[in-house]
Amino acid sequence: MKIMVIDDEPDIRTYLLAVLEDNGYETCSGDGKDSVREDVEKERPDLIILDIMMPRRSGISIYKELRSCPALSRIPVALISGMSPAASFTEEAFRSLAADDALAMPEGFIEKPVKIPALLERVAQLLKGVRDA
Amino acid sequence: MTTGRTGGGTIAKITRENIDRWIQENLFQAIPMAVAVIDQEYNLVYANNAFTRMFGAWRNKKCYTVYKSRESVCPDCKGKDAFFDGFARVNEEVGYNKNGRITHYIKHTVPIVNDDGDVPFLLEMVTDITETVHIRREHQLLFDQVPCNILVIDRDYRIVRTNRRCREMFGDIEGKFCYKAFRGEGQICDRCLARETFQDGRLHSGHSAVRGKDGKEVHMHVTYVPLSLEDGKMDLVMEMAVDVTQLMDLQTQLKIALTVMETMIAESLDGIITIDDKHDITIFNPAARALFNVQGRRRVEKAELEAMMPEGFLSRVETADTHVYLPDTAVRTLDGGSCPVRLAGIRLLVDERFLGMAFWVQDMRKYKQLEKEKLEAERLAAVGQTVAGLAHGIKNLITGLEGGLYMLNSGMKKGNVDRIGQGMEMLGRNIERVAAFVKEFLSFSKGRTIQAAPCDPRAIAEEVVAMYSPRARELGIELVHEAGEAIPQAPLDGAGIHECLTNLVGNAMDACVMSEDRQNCHVRVSTLERDGALVYQVVDDGCGMDYQVKQKVFTTFFTTKGLGGTGLGLLTTKKIVQEHGGHVEMESDKGKGSTFRIVLPRSRLPQAAGAQDAPEP
Repeated sequence: MKIMVIDDEPDIRTYLLAVLEDNGYETCSGDGKDSVREDVEKERPDLIILDIMMPRRSGISIYKELRSCPALSRIPVALISGMSPAASFTEEAFRSLAADDALAMPEGFIEKPVKIPALLERVAQLLKGVRDA
Repeated sequence: MTTGRTGGGTIAKITRENIDRWIQENLFQAIPMAVAVIDQEYNLVYANNAFTRMFGAWRNKKCYTVYKSRESVCPDCKGKDAFFDGFARVNEEVGYNKNGRITHYIKHTVPIVNDDGDVPFLLEMVTDITETVHIRREHQLLFDQVPCNILVIDRDYRIVRTNRRCREMFGDIEGKFCYKAFRGEGQICDRCLARETFQDGRLHSGHSAVRGKDGKEVHMHVTYVPLSLEDGKMDLVMEMAVDVTQLMDLQTQLKIALTVMETMIAESLDGIITIDDKHDITIFNPAARALFNVQGRRRVEKAELEAMMPEGFLSRVETADTHVYLPDTAVRTLDGGSCPVRLAGIRLLVDERFLGMAFWVQDMRKYKQLEKEKLEAERLAAVGQTVAGLAHGIKNLITGLEGGLYMLNSGMKKGNVDRIGQGMEMLGRNIERVAAFVKEFLSFSKGRTIQAAPCDPRAIAEEVVAMYSPRARELGIELVHEAGEAIPQAPLDGAGIHECLTNLVGNAMDACVMSEDRQNCHVRVSTLERDGALVYQVVDDGCGMDYQVKQKVFTTFFTTKGLGGTGLGLLTTKKIVQEHGGHVEMESDKGKGSTFRIVLPRSRLPQAAGAQDAPEP
C-alpha cells in the first residue's frame, strides 16, 4: 500500500517517510506547493497524510482541491497538525477552519508530535477501510 | 356753520302783513340747498345762488349738461317721468360739480302743475352728500376689512349685522340668535358679556371658544361695546372678536417645547451649562452639579466657572465661528479635584445677536475605567493566544527533534550511516530552531512598558523604509514610503511602532520573495490620518495568503516561512499595537498580495508625559 506524506518541513517529511517505510509501506511525498494535484494523480497513493499549516497554501486548501476532483476524492486523507489535540479536532473545528459546510470531513486526524505506535495504528485502520472497499 | 344776512330787498320794513311778499321775493335765494327750475326742453330757466356755487354757470344750458356734463338727455331721467305723470320724486344721483369733481347728491324733483294737469316746469332741489358718501364708504371698508370679526347684536341677542371677515368664518348668520349661531345652544349663555353691556352700558371683554362654519374650534378674544346709546338707553351692542387660535396654538407649542427642553436639561446624563452675554450662569443642570461637585442649590459664580473649565476655553468658544470640541480633556471640580471629560462649547446667536454660550460636559471617568479594563482584557487575551501558539510551536519543534532521534536510532540499529548522519543533521537543525525560538520568545514575553512621547508618525515609517531599502534593491523589490499630507504629532512609543513596521515590511518583502513573479514586486508603506485615527499601511503584491493562513496569522506561533521564521513577528506587532489602544487589520488574496494596517485611534493613544488637551477633530 502506498502512502503519500505532504508537509512543507523537509525534516518532518523525512521522519514520517522513514517510519512508514520501516513498517513496510511504500511511500511518496510532496512539499505542499501548487503541483500537489498533479503529484497525487501521478503517484495514486492509497492514503494521504496532509499537514494543515504550510506556507503558500494551507493543507485545508489542498484537501478541498482533492475532494473536488472525482478521480481523487475517494483517496482517504489524514490531516496532521500540532495546532490542537486530536480529541478537539471536531467537525465544528474543521468547519470553522474550512469555512465550508458542504465539505466532507477527512477520514483521520493525527496530532503532532507523532506517537509512532498510534500513527501506525491509525494508518493501518484507514488502509483496512481502503482494502475493504 | 356759516352765517350771513339776507336783506329785505324792495321792502323797507317787513311786517306780518307784508311777510308773504318777502317770502315770494327772497325765499328762493335764502334756502341753503341748490334749487333750479327746468322747462320741458330740459333748459335751466332759473336757479338760486346755492345752485351756482355747486354747479357753476347754468344760464342757457340744459340740465343734463350742468348736472352730468352730458350732451343728451340721461337714459334714466327722472324729470322726464315727472313731466309725464306729475308726481314728485326723490333720488340719489351722481354728477359733476363746477370743478369737474364727482359729486353725490340727493335730488327732490317737484312738478309745477297747471290746473289742466300739464307740467310746464320742474322744481329741483339738490342736497350735496358727497362727503357723507365718502364717510359711509370709509366706514364700510373699515367695518369689512378690519382684522377682526365685527357683528351687531340687538336686545333679543339676534345678530343684525356682520362684517365680511365674520361671514367668512361663520357663514351667513345675520338674523340668527348669537348663542345659536356660535354655540348651537337653544338659550342665552350662562355668562353673557353682551348682556352685561346691555345692562350697564359699559365695555366688556373676555375669552370665548366657538365653532367656525367648518366645525373647528376657534378661540376668540371678544370685546362688547354699546351702540346707539341715547339718553342712557341702548338697543344694540357691537361685538369685536379677534381670532387668537393661532396665538394659543403657538403658546401651547412653546409650552411643550419649553417643557421638553427643561426635562431634557434636568434629566440629561451630560452636564449642560449656559451663560448669558455677561457670563452670568443661566443653566447649571443636575448632571453638571454632580460632575463639578456643586452641593445642593448653591449658585455657581462666573469666576468659579472660569476656574472649572480648561484655561482659556471660555474665550476660545466666545471667539470661535463654530463649536469648540475637546474630546479628551479635564475640568476642575469645585472641591479642587480633576475629572476627565469630553467638552464642547458653542456661542448662542439669534439673528447675529450674541446671547451667551452653551457647554456640554460628558463625564468620562467610567468610560476611561472601562477602556482601561478593555485594554487589560485584550492584553490578557493576547497572552492566552500566545500560550496556545507557544504550544503549537513547541509541538512542531518536538516533532522535528523526535524525527532526528528516530533517524539516529533506526540508523544505528540498521547500521545505516547515511541515516545516522541525516538524524544528526535534523537534531542539530531543530536544536538551532529551539534556540532561536526561545531567544525570540524571551524577548517577546519579557515585554516592556511602552514609553509614549510626542513624535512625528511619518518619521518612524520613513526610518523603517530607509533601513530596508538596500535589501529591497538587492532583491529587486520596489519599496516606497508614501508620506501623503502632513500629520500632527502623536504620543507613541517610537521604538515599539518601529518594531511593528519592521515586522510588517519584513513580512511583505518575504511575501514578494515567495511570489512567482518576484522580479516585479512592490511594497508600499503609507502613513495617514483617517476618522480620528493614525493609520500605517503596508501593501505588497507578493504571494498573499489563503483563508486558513489568514485565520491563524495573529493567533498562533504560525510561520509561513518554513524553517526561516518563528511566527512571533505578527504576534509581537499585535501586542505593541494593542498597548497603544489600536488594532491590526489585514486583507490578503492568495497570489495577489496582502495589506496590513495598523490603526491607532488618537482618543485611545497612551498619554505622553505632560500631555495637553487632545486636538480638535
